Amino acid sequence: MKKECVAMLLAGGQGSRLHALTSHVAKPAVPFGGKYRIIDFPLSNCINSGIDTVGVLTQYRPLELNSYIGNGQPWDLDRSDGGVHILPPYMREGEKGTWYKGTANAIYQNLSFIEAYDPEYVLILSGDHVYKMDYADLLRRHKEAQAACTIAVLEVPMEEAPRFGIMNVDENDDIYEFEEKPKKPKSNLASMGIYIFTWSKLRDYLIADEADEKSSNDFGKNIIPAMLGAQEKMTVYRFRGYWKDVGTIDSLWEANMDMLSTDNGIDLYDPDWPIYARSPIRPPHFTGPAANVDHAMLTGGCEVYGTVENSVLFHSVIVEEGAVVRNSILMPGTVVKSGAVVEYAIIAENTVIGEGTRVGAVPEAGGELGIAVVAQNLKVGAGAVVAPKAMITRNVKGGAVK
Amino acid sequence: MMKKLHGIIFSYLSNPDLRELTIHRNTCSLPYGGRYRVIDFMLSSMVNAGISDIGMIVHANYQSLLDHLGSGKDWDLSRKHGGLRILPPFGYAEERPGGIYRGRMDALAGVRSYLANIRQDHVVLAGGDLAVNLPLADIYCQHIDSGADITAVCTRHDLGDARSGDYFTADPDGRITDVSAHTASPEGLASLEVYILSKELLLSLVDHCDAHNIPSFTAGVLQAMSGKLNIRTYEFEGYAARLQSVSGYYARSMELLDPAVRAQLFVPDRPIRTKDQSNPSTYYGPGAKAVNSLIADGCIIEGEVENSILSRGVRVEKGARVSNCVLMQGTTIHAGAVLKYAIADKNVQVNPGRMLMGHSTYPLAISKNETV
Repeated sequence: MKKECVAMLLAGGQGSRLHALTSHVAKPAVPFGGKYRIIDFPLSNCINSGIDTVGVLTQYRPLELNSYIGNGQPWDLDRSDGGVHILPPYMREGEKGTWYKGTANAIYQNLSFIEAYDPEYVLILSGDHVYKMDYADLLRRHKEAQAACTIAVLEVPMEEAPRFGIMNVDENDDIYEFEEKPKKPKSNLASMGIYIFTWSKLRDYLIADEADEKSSNDFGKNIIPAMLGAQEKMTVYRFRGYWKDVGTIDSLWEANMDMLSTDNGIDLYDPDWPIYARSPIRPPHFTGPAANVDHAMLTGGCEVYGTVENSVLFHSVIVEEGAVVRNSILMPGTVVKSGAVVEYAIIAENTVIGEGTRVGAVPEAGGELGIAVVAQNLKVGAGAVVAPKAMITRNVKGGAVK
Repeated sequence: MMKKLHGIIFSYLSNPDLRELTIHRNTCSLPYGGRYRVIDFMLSSMVNAGISDIGMIVHANYQSLLDHLGSGKDWDLSRKHGGLRILPPFGYAEERPGGIYRGRMDALAGVRSYLANIRQDHVVLAGGDLAVNLPLADIYCQHIDSGADITAVCTRHDLGDARSGDYFTADPDGRITDVSAHTASPEGLASLEVYILSKELLLSLVDHCDAHNIPSFTAGVLQAMSGKLNIRTYEFEGYAARLQSVSGYYARSMELLDPAVRAQLFVPDRPIRTKDQSNPSTYYGPGAKAVNSLIADGCIIEGEVENSILSRGVRVEKGARVSNCVLMQGTTIHAGAVLKYAIADKNVQVNPGRMLMGHSTYPLAISKNETV
């Protein structure tokens, strides 16, 4: 059936800077905020914005992501018409199958998926960002401006602008220039990697881009500049609110810590804009007789007998009596044994931190942040010391590890 | 294998001793254990045994139960064939306007046409008012292996008020020789009122009791037939609780703070499923305290909580103190309020600075949507 707007969610990101956390899963499937995975944010935004047809483009380590999304039921995207669809690269007759060469090629390879819904507009999203956005508002802006493309932008501090793709706009907020990571930025409007296109326009540019052998088939590098070059009407949608690219260990840690702040601008408790997730079946969490839980997030299946401060715990985490967890993120099923001290650390799924272990440390006064990371399914032996900034991907018997 | 077993849950039970807790619901949809309704336990026990078709007999005050169950998808019971079926008293109400089911056989007679269409060979009959995690697959195996006509699940442990239950005396072989009901001096094994029997036998018993106007399963089947039929016990060793009164509900809730009790109810291989509400994690503010408590998701705790059970979405504001309480979904304890030995039903507001105290043997119960 015809849909006004179809969303295409780019979820193939490897997230190589998170490598200890993404060796098993694609970046959009990395756990976040106690109950979620990063992809829950764009998926929930879609359903809350009234978009019920979403294609999820996967490529790197798709197994866990595929089973997580499943039939889309947690997001109310299990539909007989539309709903969520996983779109991996595939073979065509008479040619070798290819991976998605770039973001634009990923959409190009799925032209027929989009065409099946005959949409007026296509929304391009990334599975790497934590934010709440009403895409209906973005679409309204796109329609009012009668644009071929509308790009969501965030006003960033001018000194940070050189890290982003910057949109230079005229007095009507129409884009006249796009600069990727400019050394001398002319504006502070950073692209959020969220685009809405009039489908008939995008379709033509995707086909032309695919025919160009020199193109790297990327939205930012090729499609947007080509459309600007052809004088297409392109405008920005100014987003105000919480947005975080959780592409590095530090930013992932910081974004999780942001969830502990009551004025973070992304209220997870807002009943009008819930973030949905696929949650395992677990009983309520339990705080033991000597537990000390101060400024933290806890969820189903957790059992805390020790101390947890300024930390985010995912489901089924056990903190034994006498163990201390501070300023840390403990992913599902981790166990912190008695006497262990975990500070400024991210511990991935089902890892066991042995008795009397020290993982991470408080940054020295004036020193830079250093988060220790321990990958999933590992054992850190009793008495081991894991230094700040360490990235542990193998079992540790004991002793000091950097 | 379990495609051979069908579930029937008596979900119309209401216990008047639960007073204000059952004004808006029957016993089966009473919140219990933080994030559950009592019905979740029997429903999950059945689903975890691979039972895919379940009929739920309801009679009155079941709006809250319907809201909870929805299509049954949270228990994987929203199916093309079979799945969850709610059985209201459509035929019965015409015969006896305004009348409640007088007993289980009466209720079964009321849904006889449904029973006749069951596609499995065996049926498990159970109440929806029991907090228990039953290994029904094992019980079914024993039923088949023992050649029993009826297998009756029972326990040596205390279930609640003796006068409201049945007690079995069995020979050393496990065959039931005597059944006493509503006795003040119970002997033998307490019945969990969970029975497995063949569909064929069930239909003949329903017709027999209907023809003789016997509404009770205990009188019409267990007591009348224990000589003729091979009725055998299955002794369940784990935790089981029947929620019958306000003080009993309170005591049974507090038992959940014991890790040994939780280990028997929340078995990892047989998880207790419930309605998914997509709550965020529970947030503890700076200076919050939570000791010896069982706390569901979506709560915001900025005050102190001790020896308590909190359902989803409860708020305990700064300076508020909650101890030895059961707080149901959406209840807010405002700044500086103190609540001890109390049960607050859903969406209760305890205003700033209020101080309320019950006693462990007589907990204070605050009705749904009340403001103190």
